[in-house]
Amino acid sequence: MSGEITHIFWSFGLFIVMLFVIGLYCVLMTYNLVRALIGLEILIKGVTLLIIVAGYVSGHIALAQSLVITLIVIEVVVMTVAVGIVFGIRHYNESLDTRAIEKLKG
Amino acid sequence: MYSSLILIPFFSVIVLNLPFRTLMKKSAFWVCIALSLIQIFAVLFSPTGSLGNLTEMFFSFLRVDLWIDNLSRIMLLCIGIVLFTAAWVQKELSKDEERQFNFMNVLLLLLAGLNGIVLVRDIFSLYVFLEITAVSSFILIGFNKERDAFEAAFKYIILSVIATALMLTSIGLLLMIAGDTSFATISATLKTSPDKLLAMFAVAIFLCAAFIKGGVMPFHGWLPDAYSASPASVSVILAGVVTKTVGVYTLIRIVYSVFGYSPALTLILLIVGTLSVVLGALAALGQSDFKRMLAYSSISQVGYIVLGLATGSMLGLAGAVFHLFNHSIFKSLLFVNSAAVESSTGTRNMDNLAGLAKKMPVTGTTSILASLSCAGIPPLAGFWSKLLIIVALWMGKFYAFAIIAALASILTLAYFLSLQRRVFFGKLREDLAHIKESGFGFLLSMTILALITIGAGLGFPFILNSFLLPVKTISGG
Repeated sequence: MSGEITHIFWSFGLFIVMLFVIGLYCVLMTYNLVRALIGLEILIKGVTLLIIVAGYVSGHIALAQSLVITLIVIEVVVMTVAVGIVFGIRHYNESLDTRAIEKLKG
Repeated sequence: MYSSLILIPFFSVIVLNLPFRTLMKKSAFWVCIALSLIQIFAVLFSPTGSLGNLTEMFFSFLRVDLWIDNLSRIMLLCIGIVLFTAAWVQKELSKDEERQFNFMNVLLLLLAGLNGIVLVRDIFSLYVFLEITAVSSFILIGFNKERDAFEAAFKYIILSVIATALMLTSIGLLLMIAGDTSFATISATLKTSPDKLLAMFAVAIFLCAAFIKGGVMPFHGWLPDAYSASPASVSVILAGVVTKTVGVYTLIRIVYSVFGYSPALTLILLIVGTLSVVLGALAALGQSDFKRMLAYSSISQVGYIVLGLATGSMLGLAGAVFHLFNHSIFKSLLFVNSAAVESSTGTRNMDNLAGLAKKMPVTGTTSILASLSCAGIPPLAGFWSKLLIIVALWMGKFYAFAIIAALASILTLAYFLSLQRRVFFGKLREDLAHIKESGFGFLLSMTILALITIGAGLGFPFILNSFLLPVKTISGG
């Protein structure tokens, strides 16, 4: 790796790690179902950035772009279904609090 | 021709929905049955891979980069059989035409996703099909719009998306190292990689993702909930093929064909496998819900498959693949049994059941066969696969793990005997005196699955030589 590419890799790497940590923190700490989904979104955004940087560093930016577009489409589908499930949970619990979800244990 | 196994389900969903939706309503179920039968026959009767030149020519312009070997063939067979039975169970459970039509459509999408996972040889396409399968299974778990099912589906979504994020990180790192996402390139690059540390990190997080998706013991949080809360036919599919294809097949394929073995990886697989075998069996002992006990049993059996994979020898891999097949068959059978019991009596709590064998002879007999096969009693199929795995562990000088795996079989037998005693044996409770044997769909699927279990056990030498040992034709790209 040349100097410039190494520099890009590490400066973006910092952001990727930050997005990861924020996303995971959000998923683990929140008691709100929608916020948990937002945390997952942030996590996936970090990964998207990682793939773009990986493509740039390895010199396969076209491949990386096609991967990222596919990824974005799929992720939207997953989130749509997830929000549908959250709607269902809210219908029964009248709240979005994860602490109300405790029927399945053991 | 094998790309048609992915494309035909997609096309059928479009055809069923677009032009003549109202006319097609009745036929959705039969389309599902027909596709699963076509898949079974295509696998069984065309081992060379040429179904007909016409379809080949027709689909050649759509060719994705696919490969087929004996491991893929066995998985395709499992998928066909389990989807066939699940469609029958669903037909028996729900009489509402509209809901059944919707169910069959999602089932077809699931079929396309599962076939895709088995056939691709590119790590990113693998991710795409994993997500198709995952989304279809989220919808199927919450299909009856019950409270527990939504809860289970949400847990599954959270863990599945985290697994996906890990997997994509691994894909990103591998893309950076190898410059491509095909199995062959990655495999070749990992053998001569200068970035050893980065490569090991990528491999480790990919393994974590596969463990979460397969529900192996330290990562199993979502699995018992999803299996027990989903509709009965969906439990059959989830336990029979979804977690097996999404988690275990991916693990076998990636470890064997792409990453290759290293001492650290063997150790991780051995420890995770042993944990699943022992803790899954212990947790199953304490359950009183029929399906929840089967779910923990499933975790325990997946542990055996991981142990077989960990040996890295031909024998161990053959054992792992055969156990994968057997587990698909007998665990689907047990879930069909639980569905039959639930639909007849209205409860899954084993403390409220007793003596059903007199009233439901077919269900009782087939569930005994499946339990004995799962516990590894000769000459049923489960015995041979467990024997292969334990012998392979012993020959690989993992003596302690072999002994633990053999002893855990006793635990398996213990919880299945407890299940049989509480549900099917003993004195019939008075409030259950009116129940009848379940309907035709249940009987058909139970009989077929039980016959396969017996047949695979009795015909073991033939299967070993013609199907399993050629697993070594799995190539490194």
